[in-house]
Amino acid sequence: MANNSPIIEVRGLTKKYNGATVVKGIDFEVRKGEIFGLLGPNGAGKTTTMEMIEGLRRPDGGTAIVAGYDTQKSLNKVKQVIGVQLQSTSLFELLTVKEIMQMYASFYKDPREIDPLLKEMILTEKKNARVKSLSGGQKQRLAIALALINDPLVIFLDEPTTGLDPQARRTLWDIILKLKEKGKTVVLSTHYMDEAQVLCDRICLMDQGEIVALDTPQNLISRLKLEKGIDLDLDTRESNLEDVFISMTGRSLREE
Amino acid sequence: MSLKAYWQLTLAQLRIFARNRQVIFFSLLFPILLMLMLGSFLGSSGGNISLQAYVIDGDESTASQQLIDTIGQQGIIEVVEPPVTVTDLNGALERLKNGDVQLIVEIPEGYGQSLEAAAAEAAGGSGGAEAGSQPPAGVNVYYDETRMTTAQVGLTVINQVIDGISKSLTGYEPVLAVNPEGVQGVQLEYIDFLVPGIVAMMIMSNNLNGVAGQIASWRERGILRRMQSTPLHASTFISAQITARLLLNGFQALIVLLVGYLFFETQVNGSWALLVMFVVLGTLTFIAMGFIIAGLAKTPESAGPIAGMISFPLLFLGGVFFPISNMPELLQPIVKLLPIAHLSTALRQVMNVGADLTMLWPETLLLLGWMAVSFIVASFTFKWE
Repeated sequence: MANNSPIIEVRGLTKKYNGATVVKGIDFEVRKGEIFGLLGPNGAGKTTTMEMIEGLRRPDGGTAIVAGYDTQKSLNKVKQVIGVQLQSTSLFELLTVKEIMQMYASFYKDPREIDPLLKEMILTEKKNARVKSLSGGQKQRLAIALALINDPLVIFLDEPTTGLDPQARRTLWDIILKLKEKGKTVVLSTHYMDEAQVLCDRICLMDQGEIVALDTPQNLISRLKLEKGIDLDLDTRESNLEDVFISMTGRSLREE
Repeated sequence: MSLKAYWQLTLAQLRIFARNRQVIFFSLLFPILLMLMLGSFLGSSGGNISLQAYVIDGDESTASQQLIDTIGQQGIIEVVEPPVTVTDLNGALERLKNGDVQLIVEIPEGYGQSLEAAAAEAAGGSGGAEAGSQPPAGVNVYYDETRMTTAQVGLTVINQVIDGISKSLTGYEPVLAVNPEGVQGVQLEYIDFLVPGIVAMMIMSNNLNGVAGQIASWRERGILRRMQSTPLHASTFISAQITARLLLNGFQALIVLLVGYLFFETQVNGSWALLVMFVVLGTLTFIAMGFIIAGLAKTPESAGPIAGMISFPLLFLGGVFFPISNMPELLQPIVKLLPIAHLSTALRQVMNVGADLTMLWPETLLLLGWMAVSFIVASFTFKWE
């Protein structure tokens, strides 16, 4: 398969909660092997969008196709080829890392070996430690290890670095970049612009259930410079995605 | 359903249980404390099954008085004086029907004489074989057929007394040892009533609260959602939950039974296998109900109160602490449909009376019915999120 062919196709995806439309008929494609960022403030619809693609929520309209399978028609096929790290998953605190890995491995037909996976996630030393005793970064790496246990084609990471200290974030960035090296496709949501800028090949800026821009980080920034160049050049700092977002929505990313 | 996933989930749940020492400790401590408290306070203070009897002595001889005393000495039947308004057998029978007494023993006129005659014949007779040729002196015992258990206890005691008297008269040498357990077996104390009730209570509350609370909390914390994003089937997850709960809660119930048996001398007159069967049946029924509550509860905080709202009245209505027959007439038909009532009755019948399956099929069927209906409802109400 060519590197540019889409592995995820989203068409007219819509979700309503209690009468309010939180995702408003969005379309986008994710290419095989890229890190695709969903960027936006809280409540922009990032998580809902991801969960509809993962098959965890039923869309009220539109379709999502992952690796050729429609998430509404062949959900079980989709589940076999994706790995998911949810925003607010807690794991069984009283189990050890190894035990919880074995448990998740048992859900799949052809799971990966646990030891090499633990090594990649820098968790080998914690193999027999209980989840309860892990640090925030270690828990998050375990969550990613679990998402990788079926050797998936597409990995969904929902705000993987939220609440982590700077060092733990860097460690996680390295891990995510290594996934890309291995040819995995990563869909990542975040509200940190620096994270999106470092990790993502392309960024989908979302606000209030709509896509406001979709491009590479560089293109987004240079487009902004072209539009409002002089203003920003007066600044000593480099303009970044935060500026892009503010200029497009008039609001800051971290508001709300 | 994947066997590998089923096994791993069961194992995970058992590990979580085993590592949650506090839960295990308190869920065992509570019933044992309850046993200790209620058992020692109420167990000795006249909580015994008591049987009151009128004796209508139509003979008024030394022999008849001896019979009355012997019956009283057994310690099970209390011979009481009928009120003065009761003058004849018919009056006494009215009292029996009203439940004021449980037995009426009527000693006919000529009882003493016929005993003497029998004794004389036995002493002077040519052989033991002819000793019984004299028609035996008849003692009439009236009992309430609607209270078979009490009646049977009373009849056993009186039979034993009469039997003893006839044997002593005829100079009968026992060739076979008499097995005294038959009578001791029904000499029940409150603890014998209490322990099966406590076990039934434990089975109900551990499973209702345990399943509902845990599932609702796992749902809230996103643990179920994470599993939902894997190819795992809900049926595999539920089966594993049931297996692990059954092992753990069944085991806990058995520990409490054993504590009662070993330290409080609770009788187990029936088969342990049957007892285990009812523990299993009860556990499954209440697990299923726990799943229903977990499905209804919107938050883990509401799961506890919902489970409590169901289990608390059941504790009082279900014959856990007080016999169902003590309940108001109006409530009886409802009470008799409750699963906890059947579980406690079944456990009690097996332990106290030594009932077997042929006697307990109504309880078994009703529990099976509750279990089946609950599982069907649970399978419709279960949701991952």
